[in-house]
Amino acid sequence: MRPENYEAKRQPPSNEFELNFGPNHPGIEGNYAFRVKVSGDIVLEGKADAGYLHRGFEKLMENRLWIQNIAITPRICVPDPVPMEVIYCLSVEDLCGQEVPARAQWLRVLQMEMSRFAAYLFYFGGLGSTNGMYTPHYWGMADRDLILDLFEELCGGRVYHIYNIPGGVRRDIPDGWLERVSSTFDYLESRLKDYDDLVFRNQVFIRRTRGIGVLNQQEALELGVTGPNLRACGLPFDVRRDDPYLVYDQLDFDLPTEDAGDNLARALVRRADLFEILRIIRQVIKALPDIDGPIRAPIPNPLAWNVPAGETYQRVESSKGELAWYVVSDGGDKPYRAHVRGPSQTHAVQVLEHLAKGARLEDIAQIMFSLDACPPEVDR
Amino acid sequence: MKNLENIPVEQRRRTNPLAHVFDEFMAFCQSRSLFMLHYCTGCGAVELPPVMTSRFDGERLGISPMVSPRQADVLLVTGYVSVKTLKRVILTYEQMPAPKYVVGICSCTVNGGMYWQSYATAKKLSDYMPVDIYIAGCMPRPEAVISGMRDLMEKIRTGKADSWKDYFRNYDHYLGQQQRLFGPKWQTPTDIIGEAEHYGLITKNTRGEHTRLLEEHQKRLEPLEMRL
Repeated sequence: MRPENYEAKRQPPSNEFELNFGPNHPGIEGNYAFRVKVSGDIVLEGKADAGYLHRGFEKLMENRLWIQNIAITPRICVPDPVPMEVIYCLSVEDLCGQEVPARAQWLRVLQMEMSRFAAYLFYFGGLGSTNGMYTPHYWGMADRDLILDLFEELCGGRVYHIYNIPGGVRRDIPDGWLERVSSTFDYLESRLKDYDDLVFRNQVFIRRTRGIGVLNQQEALELGVTGPNLRACGLPFDVRRDDPYLVYDQLDFDLPTEDAGDNLARALVRRADLFEILRIIRQVIKALPDIDGPIRAPIPNPLAWNVPAGETYQRVESSKGELAWYVVSDGGDKPYRAHVRGPSQTHAVQVLEHLAKGARLEDIAQIMFSLDACPPEVDR
Repeated sequence: MKNLENIPVEQRRRTNPLAHVFDEFMAFCQSRSLFMLHYCTGCGAVELPPVMTSRFDGERLGISPMVSPRQADVLLVTGYVSVKTLKRVILTYEQMPAPKYVVGICSCTVNGGMYWQSYATAKKLSDYMPVDIYIAGCMPRPEAVISGMRDLMEKIRTGKADSWKDYFRNYDHYLGQQQRLFGPKWQTPTDIIGEAEHYGLITKNTRGEHTRLLEEHQKRLEPLEMRL
């Protein structure tokens, strides 16, 4: 960039300035941009600028076989990929009327909760580093790697494990894997005390986040907020409990809530969620050895698999919120239409624009991270 | 030192014996402190924090993230680049000071990967900017990333990582590819030809039909309009 290529634009005198956050900015999560208009350090208006990660998933899926689509579904949300596979499989099973064996259902629950734990550790790291604390980021990544190792042993992939298939899961668990899961999560539980000392009881963190980005219940419902962000506003809604899928109705867990609706409440809800995830994982580990049987229902030849015509809308709870898919089949070997309703679409665009009004400039990145949006899911 | 600056980079090695020693020392130093640009361009970016943090620890090799393109040496293109991102990637690349290196991580930068059918992504990264090292995989493990970075370090130390010179020497080709994708009025505020003259890297492929088109369109750039 050469200064002589630039010419100052004459503008009427004003104390309003316009700033671009991102896409190449350390305070932005992923490849995402946010444009703000500031006066002093108060943000007057913000505008989300998404589309840097658009790959046209919904169109790509129309050109692939039902079985091929499993491989591209986890790419929609990178930090938490398992719910994407599971919900695609649930949609296809619903269209075909397939019965999933009990053992596969328990294995899916176990995977989803492990993935949720890993996504939360990723989230705490990001939230810590927006406040200038890098240690939670380093610890969170190292602890997340232990979970990724378990996934690698189960299915070969660290992040994208294409383990689910319509009708069940691809293969059974290795010998002694459940003991290793159990000991890993025991270790992670013993680490949570350190996270509390480092972040959640840290006065720097509490004073930076308390009362920032307040969302009340009415606004949250109008803007379509779901998941932990909704529970931080005092509304205990969760698809796992209120519209149970898989075997969540046989599991015993609570839904932690907070009333404040600010950044601190959003972090504390996720912090309290970790205990519930540990409870679910322990119940699954206890129940899984007693459930025998196949891990997969028989499926027809995958290369000539005509799914019966119809449409379905399935939803699951991912670590970001309520994730839903609308899949239409015209009776052919490819989906006629597949639409993703990701939780991040509302969190990263409407909610962020709403919360940015009147916020301080230094809190914008923190609000963005505390909403835990996932930019690839916005763009798809 | 002042005399060294007068010799174009390309001829230093051949003419001045002192510069020969000096260049090798510089290449060693450059290979031991690589600052990666903190630009997460795709899903491969999720495997970069494990590379940097406690378990695989890239900082023991002198590889560390840097937030600004002005201070970075390595541009990591982690995954698919959509057309909207590619404009920013090229602008970022041109802002980085030479010597600069590009690492294409994930299969999507090699040939489009899983998105070869997509209407929104650029398929082959080396069509639009020169690439030093490709790391294949979807996504590559952190060990693979570290191994690729060690290959890059070795290439820099032996003076073989010269993709940035390739960009100056064949600027017309790269600009033509970019114009084919973004339209004939595509331009960045960077003066590549001026920089190529500075480094003594002007060849017969630096200027051409596409750069003439650029000069026709080129006028003093207005500040970017923000639509709120």
